[in-house]
Amino acid sequence: MSIVEEEAKTAPDSSRRGFLRNLAGVAGAAAVITTATRKFPPSSGKESIPLAVVKTYEPPMVDGFSDPLERMRADMARAIDKPAAERHWVMVIDLRKCVGCNACTIACVAENHLPPGVVYRPVLEEEIGTFPNVTRRFLPRPCMQCENPPCTPVCPVGATYKDENGIIVVDYDQCIGCRYCITACPYAARTFDFGEYYTANRPEESGVMVGPAAEQYETAANHEYGEARPREGEHGSPIGNVRKCHFCLHRLEKGMLPACTSTCIGRATYFGDANDPDGVVSELIASPNVMRLKEELGTEPRVYYLT
Amino acid sequence: MFRKVFYVLCAIALVIGLWGLYVRLTTGHSEANYGSYVVWGLWVAMYLFFAGVAAGGFMVATLDLLFNLEVFKGTGKIALWGSLVSLAAAMLIIWLDLGHMSRIWKVYLQGNPSSVMFQMVWGYSLFGLTTAAALFLAIRKPGSVGLKIVMVFGLVLSIFVSGAVGALLGVQAARPFWHVGLFPVQFPVFSLASGVAMMLVMLGFFAPKNDPNRQQQLWILSISSVVLLLVKLYFMWADYSQSIYGNVPMNVQAVNEVLFGSRWWAFWILQILVGSIIPIIFLVQPKLAKQGKIAGWMGVLLLIGYAVARGLIIFPALSIPELDLLVQSFTGPHLTFLYFPSAMEWAITLGAIGLATLGVLLGSQYLPLFPDSAAEA
Repeated sequence: MSIVEEEAKTAPDSSRRGFLRNLAGVAGAAAVITTATRKFPPSSGKESIPLAVVKTYEPPMVDGFSDPLERMRADMARAIDKPAAERHWVMVIDLRKCVGCNACTIACVAENHLPPGVVYRPVLEEEIGTFPNVTRRFLPRPCMQCENPPCTPVCPVGATYKDENGIIVVDYDQCIGCRYCITACPYAARTFDFGEYYTANRPEESGVMVGPAAEQYETAANHEYGEARPREGEHGSPIGNVRKCHFCLHRLEKGMLPACTSTCIGRATYFGDANDPDGVVSELIASPNVMRLKEELGTEPRVYYLT
Repeated sequence: MFRKVFYVLCAIALVIGLWGLYVRLTTGHSEANYGSYVVWGLWVAMYLFFAGVAAGGFMVATLDLLFNLEVFKGTGKIALWGSLVSLAAAMLIIWLDLGHMSRIWKVYLQGNPSSVMFQMVWGYSLFGLTTAAALFLAIRKPGSVGLKIVMVFGLVLSIFVSGAVGALLGVQAARPFWHVGLFPVQFPVFSLASGVAMMLVMLGFFAPKNDPNRQQQLWILSISSVVLLLVKLYFMWADYSQSIYGNVPMNVQAVNEVLFGSRWWAFWILQILVGSIIPIIFLVQPKLAKQGKIAGWMGVLLLIGYAVARGLIIFPALSIPELDLLVQSFTGPHLTFLYFPSAMEWAITLGAIGLATLGVLLGSQYLPLFPDSAAEA
């Protein structure tokens, strides 16, 4: 090794790259130091304080899962292995976590291709108290999928019934659109498809948002209940039918969670099989702060709320 | 002249109705103002009205054709015809209310017997056939045993189907305003009252004047109307006052909606003043009640009051949100608790009224519905 090389090896690196490298080293050292301890000037008389050293973010594990959705998906995998009649699908909504973002509402509209005037999962917002003691509460309201549904016995043609999963479904080919079931529901969970279109009476322009693509999207099929139903004209089902939340039955049959559950940004919505004692919903509905809407009517909803 | 005026009015009503029918068949329900919250509107209210008149008309027909009351001799057939025509109007208007009109056959061939609506549809269908059979027998075989049997069956059916209409609403625990045990009891009384009012119109406007019993018939029908009206008002008072006293919020809100809400004018002016007070004032006076035209017009006012009363049973109960803050949570077409019928709804209703009135006019003129087959000129 020549003298130049030895000096280069031992002398401080005065090049720009060297400057930056050293700076990073100092910063890194400072970061390590900063995160490791907090030092005070000797004159202060204070001793250094050890701080948590966090090198990378790792979410806390709960029951072996880093995200409640992961646990719910594991619960789902066990549930769909069972015969449908042995499942007891329930939904638990933690009202303490719901921030009223309405992502679940929109996810449902997108998933089920809902037209104007049809909504499966609105979020009720309530302001409580008076200033300065004011708070807001949000309550998502899907179909309660009641054990004792008041809506099914009133249908004159048996178009709405509880299926083997316990989910209240509507047969779009059987429903005559009398809307008697809507009057029977104490939760306003059903809406009628009046045949409205977002793109109706709108000028057609070029482009994606207001061009023909928008209308083509509107008339494209939705896949509720696993059936492809294009939306055409003024009269074809599901136009003229009553429609409602079905816990995304078409997704459940594929082992997927309902769209609202997957989308919830606050992980406020839980879904699973209440017949599975190891499932997250079974644990939650045993909480002392659980409640259901209008229990006095004896409908036995399958949607629980944590307050 | 009187008939000609009615014919012209019917023609106008039918033209308007045809426009409404065109809109209904080409645009579906999108032009209706009922929605997913107030799901039943003017057409359902008018169905209740026409169905009630039909049942009540049959009840009144039994006075002649079953019980052989001398004073009502010769009134049975016109009562049956009015019942049949009214039932046809009821069926037409409720058929147009369906989301899928072409699937009506499912109620008959793939029905759910536990549904009160199924029972009501079957009941009224059977009632319609019974009424037609009774009218046929009354014309072809008056006084026959077969007619008596059909009239007994029809009377029982008329009470059953009227009660079924009340039960249709009364079984709904989700609607405290409807969930009243008295509903299946009230509705047969409403039907009888409607049938008596219809007879005032029939006999007052369209019956021959040469019947010696006519004035007595009008007087008895007038007093009966007043009594039934007072009974109906009593039922209403009992219902509303108990609701307010009981203080169940949804119930109180619905009652307040009727009495002081956006439709206060329909209750106080149309139902109480026009449909109750004015007829009572005229009909308790024999000199006025025995005059055909006055009795006929009071019958019209009574029918207006009963039609409005049906609407005020349907709309307020549906105008109260099942959950607070629901309407603010999601907006869109037909997602409102405010309801006033649209032009299409009014047009169809007018058309149905015109059709029913035309049926009465033609029947009273060309069918042997009166003892001497001589309709009023």
